[in-house]
Amino acid sequence: MKAILTVHNIASDLVTSVWTPIFVGIFIAIVTYALWPRNQAVFDEAAKMPLREE
Amino acid sequence: MTQSPTAKSMTHGEAGLVLVFSLTAFFCLLAVAKAQDTAFAFHAALSSAASLWAVIAIVNRYFARPSSLPPQEIHGRPNYNMGPIKFAAVMSVIWGIAGFAVGVLIASQLAWPSLNLDLPWTSFGRLRPLHTSAVIFAFGGNVLIATSLYVVQKTCRARLAGDLAPWFVVIGYNFFILIAGTGYLLGVTQSKEYAEPEWYADLWLTIVWVVYLLVFLVTIIKRKEPHIFVANWFYLAFIVTIAVLHLGNNPALPVSVFGSKSYIAWGGVQDAMFQWWYGHNAVGFFLTAGFLAIMYYFIPKRAERPVYSYRLSIIHFWALIFLYIWAGPHHLHYTALPDWAQTLGMTFSIMLWMPSWGGMINGLMTLSGAWDKLRTDPVLRMLVVSVAFYGMSTFEGPMMSIKVVNSLSHYTDWTIGHVHSGALGWVGFVSFGALYCLIPWLWDRKGLYSLKLVNWHFWTATIGIVLYISAMWVSGILQGLMWRAYTSLGFLEYSFIETVEAMHPFYIIRAAGGALFLIGSLIMAYNLWMTVRAGEAEVQSPVALQPAE
Repeated sequence: MKAILTVHNIASDLVTSVWTPIFVGIFIAIVTYALWPRNQAVFDEAAKMPLREE
Repeated sequence: MTQSPTAKSMTHGEAGLVLVFSLTAFFCLLAVAKAQDTAFAFHAALSSAASLWAVIAIVNRYFARPSSLPPQEIHGRPNYNMGPIKFAAVMSVIWGIAGFAVGVLIASQLAWPSLNLDLPWTSFGRLRPLHTSAVIFAFGGNVLIATSLYVVQKTCRARLAGDLAPWFVVIGYNFFILIAGTGYLLGVTQSKEYAEPEWYADLWLTIVWVVYLLVFLVTIIKRKEPHIFVANWFYLAFIVTIAVLHLGNNPALPVSVFGSKSYIAWGGVQDAMFQWWYGHNAVGFFLTAGFLAIMYYFIPKRAERPVYSYRLSIIHFWALIFLYIWAGPHHLHYTALPDWAQTLGMTFSIMLWMPSWGGMINGLMTLSGAWDKLRTDPVLRMLVVSVAFYGMSTFEGPMMSIKVVNSLSHYTDWTIGHVHSGALGWVGFVSFGALYCLIPWLWDRKGLYSLKLVNWHFWTATIGIVLYISAMWVSGILQGLMWRAYTSLGFLEYSFIETVEAMHPFYIIRAAGGALFLIGSLIMAYNLWMTVRAGEAEVQSPVALQPAE
């Protein structure tokens, strides 16, 4: 019983502390994607989308 | 459906819904008979009647329509579905006026308490949630549903998914509003701010909301444009998060399946934390993300300028998503909530200032090269002023979440002033601006009936907002300072009733400000009505003009 609790604690500690770096990593990836120079042309086109439709 | 034009049969959706609504009508009738309280009996009767009406409407619609469903495209152009959008747009104007009017009434009740009329149905306690729900969910919700279903079609170049589903969403949502609103008047409430509707209304909203999500998602999936425009990201975040919040905050057990009363699964500080996790993210994803979507489509469209920085829109979108969800505890400063949770909420609220202003800068700078239009186009001015109010209230909010500031501002009218600078200035104005654009587009009109009346609306409402928020700032700070004033002997300097008396003149100014805002919305309703009724029809040119709409 005690062993199960300990495993559970380790698992929950891991889950609750690991998401912070994961989320920070995802966010950095998004910012990199947004600022990547080669994506500029796609974004320039996308910025005009409301003006292009019929 | 590949059917020959002569053979006409009901679609699975039509037949299925007729069956479901027939059964619902029957079971609701049973519920009327077995009801434990009159409010529940009334709501069951309403639901039974509405289900019966739905059956008749679906069958009539089936007999009136041609054998094949409307095509996805006509002459290579998307065959947009505007009917449900027109319905939601009209409902938003009607609910808006009703919600603002109840606001003026309860503001007057605070100034002159005899206006409570000594009746349970007209007391402040019941009318206050009626006001908040009517303006946020009925007015704001219909604006969001109307604009989202419009923008997703236009920017995906695809017809709305589903045949009956979009109608189910708009009518079902408004039926939820009717059940919630009449419930408040009859005293049916689970007493959670902005989540007052009882369990059966919550269940109904869940069904409607899931269908809304599906209609929106499937339209995106069948898009002709490879890129998903940023406004659709904001709408999707709004729809998904509201679903999560609604389910998270409302797990209640009814006392009887034939009664309106229910109890929430948890109590005490856990309930408080869940409630404000819900409450603040309703601000973040209903009143912010959804209306930012409106900003990202309608300002570029009206100003005829591209989005200022598409990169910034991506970054501030994801920053909002990652940060907002943690800001709720700032509603519970100096309560039984653990101190670390309060500080966490404060920290995330302060960080939110950056993505908020990212959005504001992007909205305002979209006008670069078109600033002169502010002089000539009052609709664009309304949209831009809304973004300015957004910037102002998202600066004020993080400041008020700082614990030291909050110790003065909490429980005072300052909070009410802050909420209304966001609600009237940002949400209200961006919605009015969107409606002024949307109504002529939906009814194929060249333009609005009168830009002069828009100008009148703009100034009446702006003066109203300024009166409202400045009165509440003064009153709130005065209230906070009076509550914490001690005499040299360590006694409280003012009794509570003295602080209430001091509020009186500000309550009158606030009611006057609200009345001006209401008058502005009546001017808008008249203008929109005349646009539909007497406006000049747009000539359908066979050669598509590129930016014209």
